[in-house]
Amino acid sequence: MNTSNEFLLDTSFFGWLYKILTPVEWLMTQVMNLFHEFLKLIGMSPVGFSWVLSIVFLVLVVHACIFPLYYRQMKSMRKMQALQPKMQHIQNKYKGKTDQASKEALSREMMKLYQDNDANPAGSCLPMLIQGPVFMCMFYVLSAIPYIADGKRAALGAFDQATAAEFSQTTVFGVSVTDNFTTADSAGKIVIGVFVALMCACMWFMQFNSMKRNMNQEAMVGQAAMMQKMMLWVFPIMYIFSGIAMPFAVLVYWLTNNICNLLRSMWQIYNFPTPGSPAAERKKIRDHDHENARRAKAGQMSLEEEELVKAKEQAERRETEGYQRQQPQRKKRKKK
Amino acid sequence: MTGAVGGAMIRCIRWYQRHISANTPPCCKYYPTCSRYAIEAIERFGALRGGILAALRLLRCRPWSRGGIDDVPQRYSLFYRCAWSKAHEEPRLTPLAWDDKEKAQS
Repeated sequence: MNTSNEFLLDTSFFGWLYKILTPVEWLMTQVMNLFHEFLKLIGMSPVGFSWVLSIVFLVLVVHACIFPLYYRQMKSMRKMQALQPKMQHIQNKYKGKTDQASKEALSREMMKLYQDNDANPAGSCLPMLIQGPVFMCMFYVLSAIPYIADGKRAALGAFDQATAAEFSQTTVFGVSVTDNFTTADSAGKIVIGVFVALMCACMWFMQFNSMKRNMNQEAMVGQAAMMQKMMLWVFPIMYIFSGIAMPFAVLVYWLTNNICNLLRSMWQIYNFPTPGSPAAERKKIRDHDHENARRAKAGQMSLEEEELVKAKEQAERRETEGYQRQQPQRKKRKKK
Repeated sequence: MTGAVGGAMIRCIRWYQRHISANTPPCCKYYPTCSRYAIEAIERFGALRGGILAALRLLRCRPWSRGGIDDVPQRYSLFYRCAWSKAHEEPRLTPLAWDDKEKAQS
């Protein structure tokens, strides 16, 4: 087994951080072990694919826990659309004013509007801060296992030395889960290379998709656009370097995680696109078609026909009553 | 008012604002945002007392909370959000004048 003498993540500042996060790590090992027990129950061999599947399962569980937060946020965005006229009213009030005080007053009034209507476009800070450590813990647990198996680190949660040893004996596609790119044989190198490539491709496509589909194309000019385009390439390339150094178990986790993120972002773009973006226009057309299909099924006239009927009625009224609207009259007016 | 610890904390928050927050979509439910609130609280009340206010604010900025306008209270109290507190303030649509003056000096 290829482990250095000391578990590097346990030293320095990070060691202290991971010490604090121990309860989360404990929970994660229990989830993995539980699912592994279940797989053994349905007859998979205890060493082999079952451990890889438990890693995938752990990622899915964590994502399932986070998903409701996203969903709520999306729902809240929808509520915002009903507030649009009032928001425009406020924006018009401060139109063309660029000084600090007006900007501040504008954002304060907007916030007040959100608060009064119980809608908020933003998620919130806390989940964002929590998410990072949770994924860090997952990473930590997977990296710690080989060291536990060697007896260089104390047992962690469900992973005592025996379980950890079982875990690190696992080989899939000819790669041991504790191998990284440099220690694997040539066949293993190819498998790991494919995993890293898939990972980067997922990441790149997620960013590309949201940039092309889910952003207001008119706003995509100048420095903001430059920044976006740079980010599109920077992260995947950073992934290549870190992907090579990581053991295969971590890569499995990473790839699953990226696929989950990609699917979630695609779902979001499909169902809750940003207003004014190409995706929003598509959704508008799609909703229109759905409505027409529903009406056709119910035997009602389609949206276009309804518009036509309305236009005809209006034209007819103009013929009979002239172009001017009938002026309102006081009820108690003296009769002439 | 801010000492060495407070100064370091503010520099960290400023670093977060410039490098992390600027690259992500806005995510705070409140106005001012959590990071601006934290800076103001630490500037006004020091690292420990301001830090506690900022931590409480972060705990408030979560799903299933309402969000809205939430300024650093003029008078220090951990319970300033409660209506019975002497430090309680109604949400202001315009910032206080002395906020700007203080910022100009520093």
